[in-house]
Amino acid sequence: MKQDYFSANNIKHIDYKDIEILRKFLNLNGKIMNHKRTGVTAKNQRALSNAIKNARFLGLLPFVAK
Amino acid sequence: MKNNDEEVEVNSRVYELGYLLIPTIGEENVPVVYGNLKELITSLGGEIISDEMPKMIFLAYQMLKVTQNVRNRFDTAYFGWVKFEMGSDKILELKKKVDLDPNFIRFLILKTVKENTIAAKRFIHKDFKRKTSTKKDGENEEVVSINKEEIDKEIEAMVAA
Repeated sequence: MKQDYFSANNIKHIDYKDIEILRKFLNLNGKIMNHKRTGVTAKNQRALSNAIKNARFLGLLPFVAK
Repeated sequence: MKNNDEEVEVNSRVYELGYLLIPTIGEENVPVVYGNLKELITSLGGEIISDEMPKMIFLAYQMLKVTQNVRNRFDTAYFGWVKFEMGSDKILELKKKVDLDPNFIRFLILKTVKENTIAAKRFIHKDFKRKTSTKKDGENEEVVSINKEEIDKEIEAMVAA
């Protein structure tokens, strides 16, 4: 993913309920990927990490995946 | 300073409340709890914008909630959300009331926007488009091969002539 996924797909608000999208930015252990790997802009990367953390709190995504 | 405080109180904002209900309440009581929550929001002067009925989900990890000194563990829950507009002075009151409700495992209040923020459905279309585009590429190759045969025939005809 070299280009910013969110601006390429015209996503203005990153929602914590969009688990399918958020899962693309987690590695096998459930960690959030580095922005160098995701290619997401700094602003969107911040919003993305907040969305993932909110989803984790509500049990939609794992904190640690084995 | 006083003016600032007044401005903060007057502000009405769009909030989203995501919540997990305990699975022991049963399918038939989910609409009741859901209705009560909506009533609570409207009673505090909130205006509901959009919402989703709580659905049974498997939690990504086990959750603990202590009620009456008993530890309860949950692997499943009913997940639902409500988007509403409410005065910023009332939101704390809502939080306190939901905190006391024994039917909630957890909840999350977020500031958000009126527009629909879920984008998952749009992506399925895009994926399909990608698949069709790859198929088209395959078709093009076939077309090219047919063209080659035709060219060969033409060349043979030319040689024969």
